[in-house]
Amino acid sequence: MKTAKNDTKAPAKAPKAAAKPKVAFFDFACCEGCQLQITNFGELLLDVLGAVDVVEFREAISEKWDGDYDVVFIEGSIADHHAEERLKKIRARAKVLIAYGSCATIGGVNGMKNSFELDEIRQSVYGKDYKLFDSTATKAVHQVVKVDYFIHGCPVYIPEIVEVLKHALRGLPYNVPDNPVCVECKLNENVCMYERGIACLGPWTKAGCNSWCTSNGNICYGCRGEVTNPAKNAANDVISKYNLKPELIKNKFDMYNKCKENDANGKH
Amino acid sequence: MNYHILMKGELDMFVKKLSKKMKVYAPVAKGFSNFAFEEVSSAGEIAMEYIPTILPPKKYFMPPREKMLDFDLTEGKPKDTANLDAEKLAVFAVHTCDLAGIQCLNMVFSERPRDYNYLLRKENIFIIGLECLKYCDGNASCALVGNHYPNGGYDLFFTDIGDKYVIHVNTQKGEELVEGMGLAKASSADMAALDRAREAKKHTFQNEIGVDPKKLPEIFAKGVESPVWKSVGDRCISCGNCTNVCPTCYCFDMADTVNLDMKTGFRTRTWDSCQVEPFATVAGGENFREERSARQRHRYFRKFKYSVDKFYRSFCTGCGRCTRTCMAKINLKETLTSLAAESK
Repeated sequence: MKTAKNDTKAPAKAPKAAAKPKVAFFDFACCEGCQLQITNFGELLLDVLGAVDVVEFREAISEKWDGDYDVVFIEGSIADHHAEERLKKIRARAKVLIAYGSCATIGGVNGMKNSFELDEIRQSVYGKDYKLFDSTATKAVHQVVKVDYFIHGCPVYIPEIVEVLKHALRGLPYNVPDNPVCVECKLNENVCMYERGIACLGPWTKAGCNSWCTSNGNICYGCRGEVTNPAKNAANDVISKYNLKPELIKNKFDMYNKCKENDANGKH
Repeated sequence: MNYHILMKGELDMFVKKLSKKMKVYAPVAKGFSNFAFEEVSSAGEIAMEYIPTILPPKKYFMPPREKMLDFDLTEGKPKDTANLDAEKLAVFAVHTCDLAGIQCLNMVFSERPRDYNYLLRKENIFIIGLECLKYCDGNASCALVGNHYPNGGYDLFFTDIGDKYVIHVNTQKGEELVEGMGLAKASSADMAALDRAREAKKHTFQNEIGVDPKKLPEIFAKGVESPVWKSVGDRCISCGNCTNVCPTCYCFDMADTVNLDMKTGFRTRTWDSCQVEPFATVAGGENFREERSARQRHRYFRKFKYSVDKFYRSFCTGCGRCTRTCMAKINLKETLTSLAAESK
């Protein structure tokens, strides 16, 4: 009895430390600011590193990993053929894939490229030899490979990164809040941007950031993507009440949300 | 009945003395005609003339986000500990509409199973009302629901009679405070001035929609299929503002969060809104109130019909916040007027 107990106890400890999930971070077309958010975890980083093994993270470590990944974090949007191939290879080696940051989850600012004819915009960026430079219409990560978890935001909101990581480690689905930003903004008792005479995308944008921008005096730019059922018609009343131009709202949306047009039904 | 007086010049002394005993929260100007209850320590910070604050004082009784308990799953059987941090505080200059809102919530949370978080917080909150002598703005409908006059629900109640406030003392706690500060009793002249102020309000405040409030439940019962709801639903953008600012909306969502050790965690509750998409969505994706018209109708019925059936009381306090905050111009007085016109 006694020996059996000791037997089960001793080996249980050793593999536990070795069996920490292997986590890797990769970036595509982006500013790498979301990676910076991870390095900005502060003390929280110690707790996170207690729960996972970071095996690849270009911005923070030089090690590489040639095995399979338990969890990969993908930052950036997919904007050329090479990126598509590279992403598919990473996906093939990953048990769980998390798209994080607006570029990855909704295409983000790189999606503005899709407002132009591809060759036209290539020419304006690369000049007359533009054909030497590979470029495709911008895609969000889920428009190329299967995504298991989405962490929206530009940049990502630290408490949400940790929440999603915990869900991924426990194998539970994470529901991105489908309330508009107004809900969190109101709970934080901010003076509404519209009351200040400024158009804000909070009413149509997914919450989950704890109204990060509006609580700090900025408008909501819609970086977390639209709620699944935005009230399109009702926007007219808002536009008329506050004396705004409809194009203004649309232009603001296009800054982050242009890639949405690639989604079959507008939903992930 | 016990009435005291406070000279207006002594208001600062009053607030300072009170803030030495407990934290004091009062309306503060936030710009753009917005006000919010915030911590103050002198009279100068307080907006004694204010339109209803962004959030009602319910935020002190039922915080927008609240931790309910900590749990530990290390052992076979989960362990939990409930820790309530209910500090002693005073809410100053609460309008009669918001006093009514607190009374409504008291009824809701006293029902069994009782909500101890709410009730214990309430025990520690000292409430000082402030009478409105004129309308805050045209969005209010306090006279319709009879909330333009005080109906209890406070420890002390201030009425401005010119150069001083008459203070109605309503509780033992209130009595101890005014006695402790040595505030003089109101004279018969002060009481006459109070009467005059109240009398004048009869003309200033009139039923805002000209519909007998007793008829409202019946009007609603008839109006279940009214086209009014479609019109309101078409305009609604489901931002949830109307319910989050409502002094009597109390719906909340509960969630458990596990810490990174994957063994311990905590449970929180957060205000929820029947106007937002996920509220009535259940497992499998079915949504019981998919249409915005159904959600808006539900909100109105919760104020004027279901609450009257259950608690014999309107859960609309007439504060006008839902109208003020609505970005799509959904107006409570207009909705009621259209609904009443149809049932004629």
